[in-house]
Amino acid sequence: MAVESEHVTADVIEAQEFPDLARKYAVRGVPKIVINENTEFVGALPEDQYLARVRAAVESNAETPTNGGAERNQDGI
Amino acid sequence: MQMISDKDRQTIREHFDERLKGDVDLIMFTERQSPIIIPGKETCETCEPTRELLEEVASLSDKLKLTVHEISEARDQADELGIDRVPAFVAHGASRGQVRFFGIPSGYEFSALIADIIDVSTGETDLSEATKQFLGSLTQNVNIKVFTTPT
Repeated sequence: MAVESEHVTADVIEAQEFPDLARKYAVRGVPKIVINENTEFVGALPEDQYLARVRAAVESNAETPTNGGAERNQDGI
Repeated sequence: MQMISDKDRQTIREHFDERLKGDVDLIMFTERQSPIIIPGKETCETCEPTRELLEEVASLSDKLKLTVHEISEARDQADELGIDRVPAFVAHGASRGQVRFFGIPSGYEFSALIADIIDVSTGETDLSEATKQFLGSLTQNVNIKVFTTPT
Protein backbone atom coordinates (compact mmCIF):
# COMPACT_ATOMS: atom_id res chain seq x y z
CA MET A 1 0.00 0.00 0.00
CA ALA A 2 2.89 2.34 0.75
CA VAL A 3 4.11 1.74 -2.80
CA GLU A 4 0.78 2.98 -4.16
CA SER A 5 0.11 6.03 -1.97
CA GLU A 6 2.23 8.93 -0.76
CA HIS A 7 -0.01 9.06 2.31
CA VAL A 8 0.96 5.58 3.49
CA THR A 9 3.96 4.69 5.64
CA ALA A 10 4.54 0.99 6.26
CA ASP A 11 6.79 -0.17 9.10
CA VAL A 12 8.00 -3.75 9.34
CA ILE A 13 9.13 -4.29 12.92
CA GLU A 14 10.98 -7.32 14.24
CA ALA A 15 9.16 -7.77 17.57
CA GLN A 16 11.87 -9.73 19.39
CA GLU A 17 14.49 -7.05 18.79
CA PHE A 18 12.28 -4.26 20.12
CA PRO A 19 10.56 -5.60 23.24
CA ASP A 20 9.51 -2.05 24.23
CA LEU A 21 7.42 -1.72 21.07
CA ALA A 22 6.12 -5.29 21.39
CA ARG A 23 4.95 -4.43 24.91
CA LYS A 24 3.49 -1.07 23.93
CA TYR A 25 1.41 -2.64 21.17
CA ALA A 26 0.67 -5.84 23.15
CA VAL A 27 2.15 -8.16 20.54
CA ARG A 28 1.35 -11.73 21.53
CA GLY A 29 1.14 -13.27 18.09
CA VAL A 30 2.50 -12.42 14.65
CA PRO A 31 1.96 -10.98 12.20
CA LYS A 32 0.27 -8.28 14.23
CA ILE A 33 -0.90 -5.25 12.32
CA VAL A 34 -1.54 -1.85 13.91
CA ILE A 35 -3.08 0.87 11.73
CA ASN A 36 -2.95 4.52 12.84
CA GLU A 37 -2.66 3.48 16.49
CA ASN A 38 -6.41 2.80 16.57
CA THR A 39 -7.07 -0.43 14.68
CA GLU A 40 -5.31 -3.73 15.12
CA PHE A 41 -5.55 -7.39 14.22
CA VAL A 42 -3.45 -10.53 14.26
CA GLY A 43 -2.87 -12.83 11.31
CA ALA A 44 -3.01 -12.57 7.56
CA LEU A 45 -6.31 -11.42 6.03
CA PRO A 46 -7.62 -11.54 2.47
CA GLU A 47 -6.98 -8.22 0.72
CA ASP A 48 -10.62 -7.01 0.82
CA GLN A 49 -10.82 -7.53 4.59
CA TYR A 50 -7.43 -5.89 5.07
CA LEU A 51 -8.65 -2.91 3.07
CA ALA A 52 -11.79 -2.74 5.23
CA ARG A 53 -9.60 -2.42 8.36
CA VAL A 54 -7.52 0.35 6.81
CA ARG A 55 -10.69 2.16 5.76
CA ALA A 56 -12.10 1.80 9.30
CA ALA A 57 -8.88 3.19 10.78
CA VAL A 58 -8.99 6.23 8.49
CA GLU A 59 -12.68 6.88 9.24
CA SER A 60 -12.05 6.48 12.96
CA ASN A 61 -9.35 9.16 12.76
CA ALA A 62 -11.64 11.50 10.85
CA GLU A 63 -14.22 11.34 13.67
CA THR A 64 -11.74 12.11 16.43
CA PRO A 65 -12.02 15.86 17.03
CA THR A 66 -15.80 16.17 17.30
CA ASN A 67 -16.93 13.16 19.30
CA GLY A 68 -14.64 13.63 22.26
CA GLY A 69 -12.17 10.90 21.38
CA ALA A 70 -11.59 8.30 18.73
CA GLU A 71 -13.75 5.22 18.78
CA ARG A 72 -11.15 2.60 19.44
CA ASN A 73 -11.51 -0.32 17.19
CA GLN A 74 -9.59 -3.07 18.94
CA ASP A 75 -9.86 -6.28 17.01
CA GLY A 76 -8.01 -9.54 17.39
CA ILE A 77 -6.77 -10.34 20.87
CA MET B 1 30.47 -14.91 7.09
CA GLN B 2 28.29 -15.30 4.03
CA MET B 3 24.63 -14.89 5.00
CA ILE B 4 22.91 -15.82 1.74
CA SER B 5 23.84 -19.20 0.23
CA ASP B 6 25.32 -19.34 -3.29
CA LYS B 7 22.19 -21.08 -4.53
CA ASP B 8 19.89 -18.39 -3.10
CA ARG B 9 22.14 -15.65 -4.45
CA GLN B 10 21.80 -17.08 -7.93
CA THR B 11 18.00 -17.31 -7.61
CA ILE B 12 17.67 -13.76 -6.26
CA ARG B 13 20.07 -12.37 -8.89
CA GLU B 14 17.95 -13.87 -11.68
CA HIS B 15 14.77 -12.64 -10.02
CA PHE B 16 16.19 -9.11 -9.75
CA ASP B 17 17.43 -9.17 -13.38
CA GLU B 18 13.97 -10.11 -14.51
CA ARG B 19 11.86 -7.85 -12.29
CA LEU B 20 13.76 -4.74 -11.19
CA LYS B 21 12.96 -1.65 -13.23
CA GLY B 22 14.20 1.54 -11.55
CA ASP B 23 17.04 2.05 -9.09
CA VAL B 24 16.43 1.45 -5.39
CA ASP B 25 18.35 3.19 -2.62
CA LEU B 26 18.62 1.24 0.59
CA ILE B 27 19.40 3.74 3.34
CA MET B 28 20.46 2.05 6.53
CA PHE B 29 21.05 3.39 10.05
CA THR B 30 23.26 1.48 12.40
CA GLU B 31 25.33 1.86 15.55
CA ARG B 32 28.96 0.91 15.64
CA GLN B 33 30.10 -1.47 18.34
CA SER B 34 31.77 0.46 21.11
CA PRO B 35 34.81 -1.04 22.84
CA ILE B 36 33.58 0.68 25.99
CA ILE B 37 30.89 -1.08 28.00
CA ILE B 38 28.38 1.43 29.32
CA PRO B 39 26.22 0.02 32.14
CA GLY B 40 22.54 0.01 31.26
CA LYS B 41 23.20 0.55 27.56
CA GLU B 42 22.34 -2.42 25.39
CA THR B 43 24.58 -3.15 22.46
CA CYS B 44 22.96 -3.54 19.06
CA GLU B 45 23.41 -7.23 18.39
CA THR B 46 21.68 -7.28 15.02
CA CYS B 47 23.22 -4.11 13.57
CA GLU B 48 26.24 -5.81 12.05
CA PRO B 49 24.36 -8.89 10.70
CA THR B 50 21.74 -6.55 9.17
CA ARG B 51 24.44 -4.51 7.43
CA GLU B 52 26.10 -7.67 6.11
CA LEU B 53 22.77 -9.02 4.86
CA LEU B 54 21.93 -5.76 3.06
CA GLU B 55 25.41 -5.60 1.53
CA GLU B 56 24.91 -9.07 0.12
CA VAL B 57 21.46 -8.20 -1.23
CA ALA B 58 22.72 -4.94 -2.76
CA SER B 59 25.56 -6.83 -4.46
CA LEU B 60 23.04 -8.91 -6.42
CA SER B 61 21.94 -6.11 -8.76
CA ASP B 62 23.46 -2.96 -10.26
CA LYS B 63 20.15 -1.23 -9.62
CA LEU B 64 20.52 -1.46 -5.84
CA LYS B 65 22.59 1.01 -3.87
CA LEU B 66 23.22 0.72 -0.13
CA THR B 67 24.19 3.68 2.05
CA VAL B 68 25.01 3.02 5.71
CA HIS B 69 24.81 5.80 8.29
CA GLU B 70 25.99 5.78 11.88
CA ILE B 71 22.78 7.04 13.52
CA SER B 72 24.55 9.31 16.02
CA GLU B 73 26.20 11.11 13.08
CA ALA B 74 23.09 11.35 10.91
CA ARG B 75 20.31 12.35 13.31
CA ASP B 76 18.76 14.89 10.97
CA GLN B 77 18.39 12.42 8.16
CA ALA B 78 17.12 9.74 10.56
CA ASP B 79 14.55 12.17 12.00
CA GLU B 80 13.39 13.11 8.54
CA LEU B 81 12.75 9.45 7.78
CA GLY B 82 11.15 8.81 11.19
CA ILE B 83 13.90 6.46 12.32
CA ASP B 84 14.61 6.51 16.04
CA ARG B 85 16.17 3.09 16.60
CA VAL B 86 18.66 0.70 15.00
CA PRO B 87 19.09 -1.35 12.97
CA ALA B 88 16.64 0.24 10.56
CA PHE B 89 16.51 1.00 6.86
CA VAL B 90 14.26 2.43 4.19
CA ALA B 91 13.91 1.47 0.55
CA HIS B 92 13.55 4.45 -1.82
CA GLY B 93 12.66 4.16 -5.46
CA ALA B 94 9.47 4.55 -7.45
CA SER B 95 7.14 4.01 -4.51
CA ARG B 96 4.92 6.94 -3.55
CA GLY B 97 4.87 6.27 0.20
CA GLN B 98 7.53 5.11 2.59
CA VAL B 99 8.58 1.55 3.48
CA ARG B 100 10.70 1.19 6.64
CA PHE B 101 12.24 -1.89 8.21
CA PHE B 102 13.17 -2.06 11.90
CA GLY B 103 15.34 -5.03 12.89
CA ILE B 104 16.97 -7.71 10.80
CA PRO B 105 14.81 -9.03 7.94
CA SER B 106 15.74 -12.69 8.26
CA GLY B 107 13.70 -15.89 8.06
CA TYR B 108 10.30 -15.31 6.47
CA GLU B 109 10.94 -11.59 6.43
CA PHE B 110 13.76 -12.06 3.98
CA SER B 111 11.41 -13.03 1.15
CA ALA B 112 9.18 -10.07 2.09
CA LEU B 113 12.23 -7.81 1.77
CA ILE B 114 13.05 -9.12 -1.72
CA ALA B 115 9.41 -8.68 -2.80
CA ASP B 116 9.29 -5.15 -1.34
CA ILE B 117 12.50 -4.13 -3.12
CA ILE B 118 10.92 -5.23 -6.40
CA ASP B 119 7.67 -3.32 -5.69
CA VAL B 120 9.64 -0.19 -4.74
CA SER B 121 11.68 -0.51 -7.94
CA THR B 122 8.67 -0.83 -10.23
CA GLY B 123 6.32 1.42 -8.28
CA GLU B 124 3.65 -1.16 -8.99
CA THR B 125 1.84 -3.76 -6.90
CA ASP B 126 -0.54 -6.67 -7.42
CA LEU B 127 -3.23 -4.96 -5.33
CA SER B 128 -6.81 -5.05 -6.58
CA GLU B 129 -8.42 -2.11 -8.38
CA ALA B 130 -10.65 -1.49 -5.34
CA THR B 131 -7.62 -1.14 -3.07
CA LYS B 132 -5.78 1.09 -5.55
CA GLN B 133 -8.85 3.28 -5.91
CA PHE B 134 -9.12 3.68 -2.13
CA LEU B 135 -5.41 4.49 -1.84
CA GLY B 136 -5.71 7.04 -4.64
CA SER B 137 -8.53 8.79 -2.77
CA LEU B 138 -6.63 9.12 0.52
CA THR B 139 -6.16 12.65 1.77
CA GLN B 140 -4.83 11.89 5.23
CA ASN B 141 -1.78 9.95 6.36
CA VAL B 142 -1.97 6.28 7.26
CA ASN B 143 0.68 4.40 9.23
CA ILE B 144 0.68 0.62 9.13
CA LYS B 145 2.90 -1.25 11.56
CA VAL B 146 3.48 -4.93 10.93
CA PHE B 147 5.08 -6.83 13.79
CA THR B 148 6.90 -9.98 12.78
CA THR B 149 9.37 -12.53 14.13
CA PRO B 150 12.10 -14.28 12.14
CA THR B 151 10.50 -17.73 12.31
